[in-house]
Amino acid sequence: MIRAKNITHYYGAEKILSDISLEVEDGSFTILTGESGSGKTTLLSILSSLLKPSSGELSFDDVSIAKVANIDTFRNQEIGFVFQFHYLISHLSVFENIKMVTKKSKDDILNILEKVGIKELAFKSPNELSGGQKQRVAIARALINEPKYIFADEPTGNLDSINSKNIFEILRALDATVLVVTHDKSLIESTDNVLIMKDGEIC
Amino acid sequence: MFKSLLYYRYKTALILISAISAITSIFLITAISNGIVDMYSDMLKTDGDIIVTQKGVADTFFSDVDRGLLDSIQNIDGVKSAQGVIVGAGSIGIVPIAGIYGVTENRMQVYKLTSGAYPKTDSEILLGKNIDSILKSPKRVNVFGQDFEVSGVYESEIGFENGGVVIGIEKASQMFKKSASFLLVSMNDISSESSAIVNKIVPLSDNIEVKSTTDFIDNYNQFKIIKVSGGVIASISFFMGLLAIVSIMSIMINDRKYEFGIKRAVGIPKYKIISQVVVEVLLLTFISFVVSLLLGMAALDFLQSVDKFQGYLSGEIDSSLALIILVSSLGMSAIGALIPAMLASRVDPIILIHQGQ
Repeated sequence: MIRAKNITHYYGAEKILSDISLEVEDGSFTILTGESGSGKTTLLSILSSLLKPSSGELSFDDVSIAKVANIDTFRNQEIGFVFQFHYLISHLSVFENIKMVTKKSKDDILNILEKVGIKELAFKSPNELSGGQKQRVAIARALINEPKYIFADEPTGNLDSINSKNIFEILRALDATVLVVTHDKSLIESTDNVLIMKDGEIC
Repeated sequence: MFKSLLYYRYKTALILISAISAITSIFLITAISNGIVDMYSDMLKTDGDIIVTQKGVADTFFSDVDRGLLDSIQNIDGVKSAQGVIVGAGSIGIVPIAGIYGVTENRMQVYKLTSGAYPKTDSEILLGKNIDSILKSPKRVNVFGQDFEVSGVYESEIGFENGGVVIGIEKASQMFKKSASFLLVSMNDISSESSAIVNKIVPLSDNIEVKSTTDFIDNYNQFKIIKVSGGVIASISFFMGLLAIVSIMSIMINDRKYEFGIKRAVGIPKYKIISQVVVEVLLLTFISFVVSLLLGMAALDFLQSVDKFQGYLSGEIDSSLALIILVSSLGMSAIGALIPAMLASRVDPIILIHQGQ
């Protein structure tokens, strides 16, 4: 379980998040939505341990993140992150983009690519892929280390509705705790756990 | 791992060019300065075990020793031979300045003839093979304002000697207004201590300094100056090359911030990112070293074959010099790589998220 308690965050003098507390159950699929500038990306960054909050406490399975000895190893083993713009390295093949973040074998990498439906593209350049295919690679990269928690920041922001639906189906089917930031109304309506943010607070 | 270096090929090429320029310069500067020192050292070491110079004069070029001492030295027990040498410089034909070596008759044989014969009179000279080539094998030549007949051409293993002329010491004495620049003494038994003979030579004159040639070379100021200057110039080249590597690599790291940001986001430890960048720089440095070694050897071969340099630009890259430069290049690169490596390891993965907003 992810538990955030009294999370407040400032960028300079500007207060971005205000005293947020929440719990995310293990194995749940949660959507975080809200208007632009409401603080959802900042909250996702903090929950994924990429950003340290100005104040408040974050814990995973009742272990405070502040007490984790090696945050890098924790993030590598327990957390997967999917970016909106996928950030694949264009001069590396699909396979190499995944290989660079893991010690897993070639078979493991091909298996994960098969799981997201793009095994046949393993040795292609990202430049040869469509937007939806690139995002599947990004998901495969986030999943390769079998993390317990998956965070995705508008993973379908640049995709058409069919590709968006496919990506969400992949994310929903994961055996992990998934937290997704999105504006997509149809996806929000089809999800039970929805957190709505406004002005740095959860409504 | 190294695909990024190939992808950013222009910046990689710039790093390689900078490193190759720096390391080649270091090879050439060090080899040439060592070569000059070695040539002069070899000349003194091979031709004598003891050297007699003017007291208080640090440079043999300005030293003036009474060559009348040669007879007394020759009679000392254990002395095989004693030779007088005048080292001067002046115009030789169309060459404005070149070495003029005035030597006693018993030293003449040191210069191996490639053609002709040794001088029989004061009006004859030997030409070094390089200057003979520059002057196109003349029959007569003007040396420092005086005409001489060329009796033969010599070749010396001491490169710069090939760029000069050898004349009788009497004639050189008139030219340069000195008796001898230095005296060289050879011992019968080279394995014995030279100090006994040195102690017997010292009382012969109040105006001389007597040392074993090994001691003399070790303490010769000119050699120290050449080596220190060479070292300083080589260090500057090294520093400039290093600065270029650090600067270009830092720019490349900025171009690759997504790569490092993703690695940071997925929890790749900082030390692994640092070691990746350091290994990349070390690889580039090693490639640069190999290319520089080949370029340096080719450049030295070329310089030695150019008559215009009269054999002064000599030197070789031996395995110990290559090893020292390899180790120091890799060491300095590893240190230099730390700055861009630290930059890479500090890429904040948050930039990836904020770029997406």
